[in-house]
Amino acid sequence: MILALEYHRSPARFLAARGLTATRAGGKMSGMIAGNVSPMRLVNRQAPELPGEGWTRVTPRLSGICGSDLGLLTGRSSPYLSPMTSMPFVPGHEIVGETQDDVPGVPKGSRVVIDPVLSCAARGTAECRWCASGQQSRCDHITAGRISAGLQTGFCADTGGGWSRQFVAHARQLHVVPDSLPDDRAVLAEPLACAVHSVRRVKVASGSTAVIIGAGTVGLLTLLALRQLTDVGAVYVVAKHGHQQEKAKALGATAIIEPGKAVRALRRVTTARMHSPERGGDFLLGGVDVAFECTGGAGGLDTALRLVQAGGTVVVSGMPGGNVDLTPLWYRELQLVGAYASGADGADFADAIRLAESAPLDGYVGTTYPLARWREALTHAADAGRLGTVKVAFAPAR
Amino acid sequence: MSIRREVKLLRHGRDWRGRSTVPKSAQPHELEHEEREFPTAWARTRTAVRARAGLRRTLLKPVVWSQTTPVVEGTEYLDGVRGPVVFVANHTSHLDTPLILGSLPERFADRVAVGAASDYFFDVRWRATLTAIFFNAFPVERYGSRRLRSLALDLVDEGWSLLLYPEGTRSEDGWMNPFKLGASALCVTKGIPCVPIALRGSYAAMPRGRNWPQPGKPRVTVRYGRPLVPEEGEDVRAFRVRMAKAVSQLAAEEDLGWYGALRAAADDRLEVPGGARSVRPGALAREEPTAERAGESKAGKNGKTGAGAGEQVAHWRRIWSSTEPLGEKRRKVWRD
Amino acid sequence: MSRPGFVLDVDERTPPLLMHQGEGFRLERLPLGAKVIYPPDSLPGIRNVDAAIKHALLNPHGTEPLPELLTPGMRLTIVFDDLSLPLPPMQTPDVRQRIIEQVLEMAAAKGVDDVELIAGNALHRRMTPAELRRTVGDRVFQAFFPDHLKNHDAEDHDNLLHMGKTKHGEDVEINRRAAESDLIVYVNITLTAMSGGAKSVSVGLASYKSLKHHHNVHTLRHSNSFNDPPNSAMHHSYERMKGLIDEHVKVFTIETTLNNETFPSSMGFLNKREWEWNVRDQASYVAVKRANELLPAKTRRRIWQSTAAPYGVTGVHAGLQSEVHPITLSNVHRQQLTEVNGQSDVAIYGLPYICPYNVNSVMNPILVMSLGLGYFFNLYKNKPIVRQGGVAIFYHPVPNEFHPVHHPSYIDFFEEILTESTDPVLLETKYEEQFATDPWYIQLYRNSYAYHGVHPFYMWYWGAHALEHLGDVIFVGGNRKTTARMGFRSATTLADALEMAKDTVGSSPSITYQHAPPLTLADVR
Repeated sequence: MILALEYHRSPARFLAARGLTATRAGGKMSGMIAGNVSPMRLVNRQAPELPGEGWTRVTPRLSGICGSDLGLLTGRSSPYLSPMTSMPFVPGHEIVGETQDDVPGVPKGSRVVIDPVLSCAARGTAECRWCASGQQSRCDHITAGRISAGLQTGFCADTGGGWSRQFVAHARQLHVVPDSLPDDRAVLAEPLACAVHSVRRVKVASGSTAVIIGAGTVGLLTLLALRQLTDVGAVYVVAKHGHQQEKAKALGATAIIEPGKAVRALRRVTTARMHSPERGGDFLLGGVDVAFECTGGAGGLDTALRLVQAGGTVVVSGMPGGNVDLTPLWYRELQLVGAYASGADGADFADAIRLAESAPLDGYVGTTYPLARWREALTHAADAGRLGTVKVAFAPAR
Repeated sequence: MSIRREVKLLRHGRDWRGRSTVPKSAQPHELEHEEREFPTAWARTRTAVRARAGLRRTLLKPVVWSQTTPVVEGTEYLDGVRGPVVFVANHTSHLDTPLILGSLPERFADRVAVGAASDYFFDVRWRATLTAIFFNAFPVERYGSRRLRSLALDLVDEGWSLLLYPEGTRSEDGWMNPFKLGASALCVTKGIPCVPIALRGSYAAMPRGRNWPQPGKPRVTVRYGRPLVPEEGEDVRAFRVRMAKAVSQLAAEEDLGWYGALRAAADDRLEVPGGARSVRPGALAREEPTAERAGESKAGKNGKTGAGAGEQVAHWRRIWSSTEPLGEKRRKVWRD
Repeated sequence: MSRPGFVLDVDERTPPLLMHQGEGFRLERLPLGAKVIYPPDSLPGIRNVDAAIKHALLNPHGTEPLPELLTPGMRLTIVFDDLSLPLPPMQTPDVRQRIIEQVLEMAAAKGVDDVELIAGNALHRRMTPAELRRTVGDRVFQAFFPDHLKNHDAEDHDNLLHMGKTKHGEDVEINRRAAESDLIVYVNITLTAMSGGAKSVSVGLASYKSLKHHHNVHTLRHSNSFNDPPNSAMHHSYERMKGLIDEHVKVFTIETTLNNETFPSSMGFLNKREWEWNVRDQASYVAVKRANELLPAKTRRRIWQSTAAPYGVTGVHAGLQSEVHPITLSNVHRQQLTEVNGQSDVAIYGLPYICPYNVNSVMNPILVMSLGLGYFFNLYKNKPIVRQGGVAIFYHPVPNEFHPVHHPSYIDFFEEILTESTDPVLLETKYEEQFATDPWYIQLYRNSYAYHGVHPFYMWYWGAHALEHLGDVIFVGGNRKTTARMGFRSATTLADALEMAKDTVGSSPSITYQHAPPLTLADVR
């Protein structure tokens, strides 16, 4: 029996959470709603069984709370994803933990970070074309095989997830962490791998200008990846909160802009022309070459589309939600690029671990909570930016 | 800031009328206090005339008539006179105006405007308002320090009769001072009649400095004379002399009787104020000195000729003569 | 005879004194011993302005009467001061309208067909048709708008003429139509000693290329003050440019001066000295102040912006600029000059709701800075009213508000440039060019109603002399964030401000309050 936070099927709670966060006041209290209204519960349940060969039990040391988790709990995430989940499941996919069984290449007791994607190898199906080419995040067999549907660890009923005392993982998911990398950096490896992946999704020309919308975990790590892995010119970061501005500065942002002033400020630095439509936000004729949308909101994507110059690229890094006017996409002939999880057959993850060691990421994991204080933890995570935190994590062992 | 604190701040250093003290360093830069003529046109509207008539009948006249014993003579001379006219009277007391207004026939009383010193009566707003409503007063500039155009001409044009005190001020001691030219000039330029009035006993009843008549219902007389009409080509100064003589003659009637005064006037024995000389109302130029009337006879004997010669009569003696009760020497105990 | 200006010593008998504070005003009790500079009483206006104008046109100084300068077939350009003068705008009919109408009557009588009217707005925003109509009057507007009544466009390079360089190497580039005219008639209002004279044509019709030679930090730091032309490096530059312009084109200048009737009778107390307020003034003070506070912000702004001053005209003089301007200046001095003995440690200024650049617009923080440290601080001759290293205390709420149409470059200047530095020299060298040549600002300046991109820099330079001179700048009632952004401090009350000033000027500083508007020019001995 293990202690776990479980997301279960409850249409009433789901709709209540969704309805509440859709309102203006509810949107401000999404932390409270995630903690109290959403269909979450703290349970003692059977530890997940090993589905077969090549699997190991993992005890999480730290397990981060991701924006997509919050989106799920508050009902804001798209119903599109529902077939790729299986209820009830234990969330948590940003995990640094310890293996409990020997698997090939990873001896028992290793400190590992998890690539959460449950692709063909884990499912025991014949390799789909994506897994064969090393792009596991695009796996087509995500609902098939020996374990139940679930796009990642933390959305699958059979594997368990990070927000518990134990879960199971396939050998292909494991990345051993060097001893020099402390837990509170290692837990950032998964989101950092996503950021690395998103940066690699587009060709960033040398000296081109980029804007990153949002300076939460995704935004900051995208900035890090962009600076470290590309030859980008100026990078502007739209950041809401004071501490985000400092961190972005430390990671090499050219300038940090408040959200309400983004269009105007970017207009000036790119010497573009700004126009104000009768309804909707201002936009630029001219603008930046590439924009990374890292907020996971419709507003962020809308802004991104209005900031990019003709022929430019908008990368959607955050899990999107809501409706967006795509007219600029059409009129300015933009590229809209999605970036999900990590790829390159584990190379993104390896780079992420390397970057996590060297980059100034101290203090990113601000607070850790035991599972028992999960309501508090979710409330904190939902308000992380305002409370001066980048990443809130569970320390399930406590 | 709350409105109370705002007002408190605003009130700081200001008196109850909202006037501020002038900062010391600002005093050399003070504006010449620019006087505005107090508007009195409202006091001549139909409503104001009615209100005034009401006040006169119910307040002014009853009070004055209850506190004094007025004797009014000569109002019959006003029969058949058509306004506007200029009433001129000697002036010794604040009782004078109420006495005249109370004794005038209604048709004149309603249509008379009283010239009042602007520096006193129109100095502050409340006094100006009261004076205007009770007496239909209009401001008269007596020192000529400012060249304000007098309202008098306009009023005459509008058909108002005027009550003027040509001496220009209440007498200090009950004696008549020389007449100023204004009233006479007005009559001559406009060609309107002048009605002389003489008041006796009002100084004794309520001299300067008192604000209520002496107890004991003192006797006062108001005598109207025959209207004087300026003759064709008559000089302003000459008309002024006629006016002064007429008033003096009426004043003398108190002592000499009607015919006696007529005779004295005809013989030119009346003392008439002129130059810088003031005279006792009703005084004769060559009368024998009596105990009370030594002053003016002495003045006469001094033989100082006419204008310019200052009177040498002691101050107390003038007051003495002015406060001599009229008629009965003793107080009446019973009403007539 | 109106009274001359004087300096009040605040004593126990002094009532609380009025301070302007943005779109509002307040009473303030100044510490005992403080000095207060009052302007001369408003001079009587000319009764028959039209006759005075006619007389001026027919009896000009240093040139032939205007009708003799007009010939059939000539090119005549009438240039007039733009929206930034006077402040607040004067009640219609504007004196410019009266003058232009008479000039046009004379031109018509002489058979002049080619007449163009140009607003001398330099890098200011264009005047809207309604604003033009208000300035020149219905008749002129209907006859000339839009083809022959225009705003000057300093970015229309086809219609600019580079006349050459002065001996100091300053480019002189002005409006081509004006430069190629047979006669320019310049219609001016000289509200402060800064305007008019050589400034009229050389600034009003110039381009950025020409303006940058005198609108810069160096020149403004050496203009002490820019309201005292003989001691103003900026005016020396104007004069040199004017000299060059005179070689090319004949300019017939008509200069007017106004009295100090700055506020309409409903707010007459603003024109009066506080101890002379009667009950009516006090009642209207309370009523107007209260109503002003209760009004919604938008309505309040609309009401303030729609007030027009019942200015009287104190002088109309025409002819050769060099001969006219001294007379004009003496008229300005007659109305505004007050002699002050010595400088003080602390200067207090109440900043009003309007400055030259927010007519029918919003007074943004940069404009507050330029009004306070530029215009008000420089309302002096000889020496500033506050000593070197002293403290200036301003009354203004300094709200973080910008007019999105009129002041687009101001927003960027405030949000991005000032966050980096407030040092005028650094801003000038690093960013001026970038703002001045930004195509979007140029587009908005030319086609919308925006101030030129470089204009916020000029505003900042305007205060450069004060920034160098002052030890500290404190805004009473100022928004903490916006004042801090500009490198100033804010205080809630005067007492707090004086407390803050202690570090700089000690605990018992001498204080001078410049009581304006109505405008006062302090002649500090």
